[in-house]
Amino acid sequence: MKNENSQLEILSNDNTPSSRRNFFKKTASIGAIAAATALSANEATTGDDPLIMHHVKWGQKLGDPVTKNRYGVPSAYEHNVLRRNTKLLASGNFQASIAVTPIHESMGIITPNGLFFSRSHGGTAHVDPNEFRLMIHGEVNKEIVLTLDQLKRYPSVTRTHFIECPANGGQEWRGPQFNSLQFAKGFMSSAEWTGVYIKTILEDLGLKPDARWMLAEGSDNSEMGRTIPIDKVLDDAMLVWGQNGEALRPEQGYPVRLLVPGWEGNLCVKWIKRLEFSPEPFYCKEETAKYTALKKTGKAIQHFYANEVNSTVTSPSPEIPWDGIKVGDMVEIQGLAWSGMGTITGVDLSFDGGNNYVEAELKGLILPKSWTRWSYIYKYEGKPLLLTSRAMDDAGYIQPTVDQEVGVLGVEGVYHRNGVETWEVTVDGKVNHVQIRS
Amino acid sequence: MFKLDRKLVIAASAITAAALFAAGCVGGESTATPSEAKYQNGKVTIDGGVYYPVVNGKTGPYAVNTQSQAGFDYGRVPTANELKAWDTDVTPTSPPPEGSGSVEEGEELYEEQCVMCHGDFGSGGGGYPALTKGNAVKGQKSLTNQRDKPDNDGPIRVFGTYWPQASTLWWYIQAGMPHPNTKSLTDDETYALTAYMLNINEMSIDGEEVDEDYVLDREKFLKIKMPNEKGFEPNIDGPTALDDVRTYYANPTNFGAIKVDPAKRCMKDCQEATSKVVRIQGAGISDFLPPISIVRDLPKEEGAFDPKAAYESNCAMCHSSFLSPGSSDWDGYTGKGIDKVYANGIEGTEGGMPAKGGSDLSDANFKSVVDYLISGK
Repeated sequence: MKNENSQLEILSNDNTPSSRRNFFKKTASIGAIAAATALSANEATTGDDPLIMHHVKWGQKLGDPVTKNRYGVPSAYEHNVLRRNTKLLASGNFQASIAVTPIHESMGIITPNGLFFSRSHGGTAHVDPNEFRLMIHGEVNKEIVLTLDQLKRYPSVTRTHFIECPANGGQEWRGPQFNSLQFAKGFMSSAEWTGVYIKTILEDLGLKPDARWMLAEGSDNSEMGRTIPIDKVLDDAMLVWGQNGEALRPEQGYPVRLLVPGWEGNLCVKWIKRLEFSPEPFYCKEETAKYTALKKTGKAIQHFYANEVNSTVTSPSPEIPWDGIKVGDMVEIQGLAWSGMGTITGVDLSFDGGNNYVEAELKGLILPKSWTRWSYIYKYEGKPLLLTSRAMDDAGYIQPTVDQEVGVLGVEGVYHRNGVETWEVTVDGKVNHVQIRS
Repeated sequence: MFKLDRKLVIAASAITAAALFAAGCVGGESTATPSEAKYQNGKVTIDGGVYYPVVNGKTGPYAVNTQSQAGFDYGRVPTANELKAWDTDVTPTSPPPEGSGSVEEGEELYEEQCVMCHGDFGSGGGGYPALTKGNAVKGQKSLTNQRDKPDNDGPIRVFGTYWPQASTLWWYIQAGMPHPNTKSLTDDETYALTAYMLNINEMSIDGEEVDEDYVLDREKFLKIKMPNEKGFEPNIDGPTALDDVRTYYANPTNFGAIKVDPAKRCMKDCQEATSKVVRIQGAGISDFLPPISIVRDLPKEEGAFDPKAAYESNCAMCHSSFLSPGSSDWDGYTGKGIDKVYANGIEGTEGGMPAKGGSDLSDANFKSVVDYLISGK
């Protein structure tokens, strides 16, 4: 009887004393054991899980030294947890494009830096921090140029905020298109940001009375620029260099980006080089040709700032359905809610596509202009469901129905779609993106 | 320091809790994290959202250092030359520099540096934006179009029909174009391309048609009136702009939002009897890169390099319509030898080819993609 490394033979229930002695002798003699060996072969029966009954393959040899991966990387098994893109969302190439976050795999209210959605208008710039300069000028009493080290000497604050592209969900004004949570709602991510309030820097510079607007301009290929009203600059706009405890990633504007909490992601200008204060707005390309929302009146909303209250069911999702679910199984229906106008105050959940709602529960940290987790414990009844979530915020807003939103804005706005979203759950636990219309 | 009227936000020490609560909280029952619909200067917030004043050393849930943060005076004053070098925005109140360029010169530049992405006469293609859809004034009328029925035409949103200001075009051409080689055009070239854009959008300046003989200069540029100048809301110009924006976003109806007393929100029988489930039409959009998978396994070994697949994901956007795989047009580019073609591709060209097409392919793999492009196999 050969016992060496064959798991099958180890499981063969051959537990005579001589055979076992033989086994241990032989295995010891061959030294390294690649395959799993039995913890207690004499007790193995067909009902036992071999993964429990045998030593796991990583349990008997030395692991990596601590000197490996001086900067850690995810487990190789997580290789499918990725930002993804589609040609539909590329202005010609993948330099003026977006790669979206796998929020179906998201946990908590923080997006790992490597999965933070990435949108650029001329590719990801790679800025040498030693060559970084920030110019602040225009309607200020004192104009300045700062190096990165000088900027970082200002008193810092740390805040958790989502950044959302206002085109999140914008492909679905005329009906659902993406059977995917990543693409239906993944044009956003969330991080803990560290930087300085611009108002802190202005304490020294001083604003002139006619300073009504601030241009934020990037140093990248596209010189992405946006105009910010002074109200927001003096409230909570920040220049940030820290993202989840480390430097910004290049895709997020290394070494410094603007953060305009709660407002359209494109206002959070990356690879920043210049802030100019002015009496009049700048009419940048990305606030006229793009990021304006055409209403059915033929007029377009410009300077459309805050991402309105919104929510989604993240579990189940089209990507991670309730496979194999049985009547009577307990499940946690989970989701995210967020508002760029304030703090989430509540989330309602409907099982019939928004005809009747129950109150879900918020969980974890409930922060302003931040992702907020919500949850509802449910006993599966075996019936098809239409899961619709509806969030509210402390500014007093509630998500509109799809009909309500389209009724006011029409279907050509592209941006700022925050009507409720519905997942159809079929009797076999599959999840489809649908809309409820009358 | 700020003038008093600029003090929307002032140091925490200046606020008393009493004044804060007198102003009233909006929508919140908790006093732990007060939020306000108004700034401390009494004006409502500009975005229709809330404001979190510093109360008892906290803004919302965050503790803050309430010491004075004045006196940080890092950095230095920029020189006049530095300001000139960076302060290059062109806006309705900050005109472009002197210069001129003709439609004819613009067309020549366009054919050299722009056509490979924006298509013949600005018709678009390969996913890059179209620059015109014909007559701008006529096209502007399409902005009320709604594709809410399958056969409806959509609104035309190109430069001529949609953009409110010509300054945006001049600025963007010079700062952001041509896409693979930005900030490379002279002022005169920028005027020429602007003139060409006006021409292909069939526009007029001061009653004069921008025809093929037209020469644009700064004086004429400043007279451009865009057909959709008044097509945007809220007002953002002039001294009342901020209050105009404030007023606009104070009315949720303007932007499709809904405010509700939480106690009165609909919880039962909320829908019309006619409500129905709308599903994704056909297969929907699912050309995701990479395809969606939630499997936890070890990544597969990379297969042999496939030049055609690399072409599809890195080059096809431009090269499907220009110097496409196997095109006889390549004959005009291979005369100086294949090494020259490789070098141009790897380093990029002023004619618009980005270095390695913007890809991160190795030199060897890139060369095999070039071979594929030229031979078509």
